[in-house]
Amino acid sequence: MGIGERIRSGDEAMGALLDRVFPASANPWRHLGSLAFLFFVVCIASGTYAYALFDTSLAGAYESGRALTGDPHLVGRLVRGLHRYSADAFVLATALHLAREAARGHFRAFRAWSWLSGLVLVPLAWIAGITGFWLAWDERALFSAAATAEWLAAWPLRMAAFARNFLTLESMNDRFFSLAIFVHIGVPLFALAATWAHLLRLSHVRAWPPRSLGVGCVATLALLALAAPVASLEPADALAAPATVAIDWFFFFPHAIADAITPGGLTLAVLAFALATIAMPWTGRRARPAAAVVALANCNGCARCAADCPFGAVVMVARSDARPHPREARVISDLCAACGICTGACPSSTPFRRMTRLASGIDLVQRPVQDLRAELDRALARTERPVIVFACAPARAPPSARTNRVATITAECTAMIPPAFIEYVLRAGAAGVVLAGCRAGDCEYRLGDRWTGERIARERAPALRRTVPRERVRVVSCGSYGTGVDHAVASLLDNEVSHA
Amino acid sequence: MMSWRSIALQVPAYAAFAAFIGYFSSAPEYRHLAPGLAVVKLSFSHAGERKHECHIRTPEELAKLAPNMRAALDCPRERSDVRVEVEMDGKLVYRIEAHPSGLSHDLPSTVYRRFEVPVGKHTFRARLADTPTGEFRHHGEANVDLAPGRVLVIDFIASRGGFQFHV
Repeated sequence: MGIGERIRSGDEAMGALLDRVFPASANPWRHLGSLAFLFFVVCIASGTYAYALFDTSLAGAYESGRALTGDPHLVGRLVRGLHRYSADAFVLATALHLAREAARGHFRAFRAWSWLSGLVLVPLAWIAGITGFWLAWDERALFSAAATAEWLAAWPLRMAAFARNFLTLESMNDRFFSLAIFVHIGVPLFALAATWAHLLRLSHVRAWPPRSLGVGCVATLALLALAAPVASLEPADALAAPATVAIDWFFFFPHAIADAITPGGLTLAVLAFALATIAMPWTGRRARPAAAVVALANCNGCARCAADCPFGAVVMVARSDARPHPREARVISDLCAACGICTGACPSSTPFRRMTRLASGIDLVQRPVQDLRAELDRALARTERPVIVFACAPARAPPSARTNRVATITAECTAMIPPAFIEYVLRAGAAGVVLAGCRAGDCEYRLGDRWTGERIARERAPALRRTVPRERVRVVSCGSYGTGVDHAVASLLDNEVSHA
Repeated sequence: MMSWRSIALQVPAYAAFAAFIGYFSSAPEYRHLAPGLAVVKLSFSHAGERKHECHIRTPEELAKLAPNMRAALDCPRERSDVRVEVEMDGKLVYRIEAHPSGLSHDLPSTVYRRFEVPVGKHTFRARLADTPTGEFRHHGEANVDLAPGRVLVIDFIASRGGFQFHV
């Protein structure tokens, strides 16, 4: 097993472990990005309250922090704790989100923009956070400010003058806090803009985590804030250097690295990390599948493909042929993931059409609906009353070995299978249909599991027709473990026996 | 609606999340100074003397300049490097040669260095050269008793008489 496979297995195992604890749709492992956004918003909200009570002066900054924690009504303690702990949780969720997306190869081609814009958030989050610590103006604040200044002093830009601000308390003045608060508030505004850019090329974005998960996380942080109040250390003294400092490791780890490998070494490490992560979209590039193609002869401009595309790769434009429809679909090749979700959404993708060669309004070059129907016909001819398993390719579920009456058809995404195909195989004598996809909320193409579920539940067009017996269709969110596929196959065969 | 069993399973997960965040937000304590050591910060921002002396332009030189540029005194902007040496108990512990900043090398030379020394009584001597000849023109000396975790700041402010020792 290669390292990539091992990482992927570890990711699956972590998701599966948390699936035992959380509902699959609210598994925090699959909502790291939205959790980071939630923690960011909590941080902004609590920071707004704290700022209203903050004294931006050398004499008042430290007392402001102490007063917040010492608030007899506990509101200040709650707010300060929420502000600090949500910032820490933001760093944790962001780091895990970044590592997970890297491990899954989600940084190339149509995902390059989201990857690069997400990287911008990393330094912004650190700058916003670290300047917030300085505002408390205690031992920890001075340690961090001086360590940051020493790091900057090692840069070739000759920024040693900044470090002189922290030599003695006489060299400090109120303007430092005005500057720190300007950065502490201003940088998150840039981070908000970067977040908007990060999500720009995605459609149907769920910025917030599932309600139960969000409430659980915020309640946990609130309880932590009350149980373990965030307190200031001793007031900053420029002529004291305590041997040990209780640091916040989520934000202060660069200071420890700088101590270990020198500030210059830290600069090189940061540059190496930045260059490596920025270069990732252009490294080890895999052959990119051809983008979906629109066949205008079969496109009536209904816009379902544009509505369902997870990456905004399909747009509706004015008609370019003589057909009497106002619009037509157009694919932006650079954004297309070739997942086939648009094919699954197209009303022309019906296998009942009497055409010599079945064609959809929008189709995949490497796996057109014509081939899909032909493969189904062969499977139906090969086995009597089979159970057809439509398996999602990225989920890589193992084929069901329960019975030889199973025919597995692999598609790039279960949402590529139009509901009309399910009706087609059932009418042709199949005992049932299983749609085996990624784990809930973990679709390789973001929305495939959601659209599949809604189409089969007849909540989204193109929906499974009411004449199709719903009990003969199973949707299984199995991932690579294939959990539930065998059970679904068995239950479909049992149903058949009991009906007989 | 979430079942009580599901909620009961989630409580330890949220507790672990809180414990992780709560612990690493202030622990383990970071030791950045070994026991028995104190810190010396040597820093100054000082402009050296001009590297080349001013000279009075001759009438011929002035005549070659545009009328609005005819200043009698010609002073090259570039400043000398600033050299500082610090001795502790008679032993040289730091020597720095700081170049002037600015594109034309006409701005102050700025230095910030931090180093650690054993605690106890020490005699610090510092000298600074800021002329083209490299002659040490400024001297300072201080006897200090450095306690563990204390900082000695050695600054140089010409307008306040030269070397400043803060402890």
